[in-house]
Amino acid sequence: MSWLTGVMAALLRCPAGLLPANRRVWADALLAEAGAVPAGRHRLAWLAGGVRLTVREAALARRLTYALAFAAAAAGTAWSAWSGPAGDPAIVPNRVGVIALAVILAGLPWAIRRARGPAAGGRAARLVRTGGYAALFALVLVRTAVERVAYAPPNNVADSSGAWMRGGLFLAVMAGYAAGMLALTARRSRAAPATVAIGTATGAAVGVLAYALGPLGFPLRFTGPWPAGFYDAALALGVLLALAAPVAAGLAATRRAGSLPAGFRAGQGAKAGLCTGAAAALVVAVLSTATIALLPYDTGLQHWAAIHIGHWTPAVGQWTPILGPTRLGYVAGNSAFAAGYLVVLLVSPLLGCAFGAVAGLAADGSQPPRPRPRGSGPPLPRPAPATSRLRPPP
Amino acid sequence: MAYRSGFSAQTLAVLADLCGTPSRWRHGYGIARDTGLKSGTLYPILIRLADRGLVEARWEDEQPAGRPQRHLYRLTPHGLAAAAAALAQAPSTDGTPASDRVQGRRRVAAG
Repeated sequence: MSWLTGVMAALLRCPAGLLPANRRVWADALLAEAGAVPAGRHRLAWLAGGVRLTVREAALARRLTYALAFAAAAAGTAWSAWSGPAGDPAIVPNRVGVIALAVILAGLPWAIRRARGPAAGGRAARLVRTGGYAALFALVLVRTAVERVAYAPPNNVADSSGAWMRGGLFLAVMAGYAAGMLALTARRSRAAPATVAIGTATGAAVGVLAYALGPLGFPLRFTGPWPAGFYDAALALGVLLALAAPVAAGLAATRRAGSLPAGFRAGQGAKAGLCTGAAAALVVAVLSTATIALLPYDTGLQHWAAIHIGHWTPAVGQWTPILGPTRLGYVAGNSAFAAGYLVVLLVSPLLGCAFGAVAGLAADGSQPPRPRPRGSGPPLPRPAPATSRLRPPP
Repeated sequence: MAYRSGFSAQTLAVLADLCGTPSRWRHGYGIARDTGLKSGTLYPILIRLADRGLVEARWEDEQPAGRPQRHLYRLTPHGLAAAAAALAQAPSTDGTPASDRVQGRRRVAAG
């Protein structure tokens, strides 16, 4: 029993190091008190209670859950990207890309923590981080699936010499998304939690709607003739929604930040718009790329894609008469992905930020600041030092 | 079960025990023995009470030989008033006040 007590005491000391300073003293107190508890099962029970206390106070269960989920997602993505048909030049870039992304996503929280602190309190920040990471892994998963088949013989529809460059660019974009998401949801972020929540939720909803109305969405599932005008109208509606969403999010975030100083309030509009654009782009990219990845296996989708993707990507200029369902699907799909969705991932957040900023300025100018409750909201910018004016000698 | 005072039954038991000797510093194991609470239940209660300023804590002044210094607890003046108010509002299921239930446990432990 004494060795078991020693093990339990050691278990109590380990997670105590993860506790903040104001909580570590309580773990030390409980451990010190164990000497007064009668030896045997009473002392063992006392120490077990201490281990439970430190695990709960250090939020170890949540940290372990996140770590395991990350490891599982990284392993699953790597397993998917690892294999491929012989002679496929995309295999090595895919493998390197997945490993590099896993390392970046694992290391970025540490770097952001030093600059902006840990994750902000509350469920919204954790939900945005978890959902964002899941979307990034999902995008890598479906993209590697598309690239692997597109490059492999007998398709060979894409230029393999650009695989490394495209992979590097994609990796940079993913790292930028992850860094931005972590910075905006950090404790010392200048974006209010409500700003991030409003922007992200709006963007995710618009992303789903844009995908549904877009060329690879629900219309793809219908066979038979579709009037071109109806499809054009649906896409136009999607574009309007995509443009209006960051404006609406910027207005809402600025109004909600009514207690902050004027310039600070307008900034919330820009940040809400940035979140809207980024979330929408990520959702559209994941869903559309996943659809492209399924194209070779569905003749109905291929037939539809042959007509409509070629119709909406005239700049690609690669729509040719059907040479074979698989080849055609990947000619259109891979080109649309390479030319379209990476551009969307780059441009959408910037456009969202711009529209959100305009909305924020408009809303800011139309309402006076409200009194700010103590301790609420993001940290305010420091006031400029006062300059003293010396009177000239008489 | 939460009483109208906002404190759980276990928290009220801790408050009642500390109220019994409000000026004396108490050890954690002594409180646990009197209230019948396990360490995993008692210390979160003490943490929350300390965070709210109802309980103050300190280490023993002297460094005893052969064992580490122990942590001591007692109610603050604000904590004493809050505890008295909470205990006055909180009857037990058998009608016994919480402080009397603590005294009963002490008699059982001594016996």
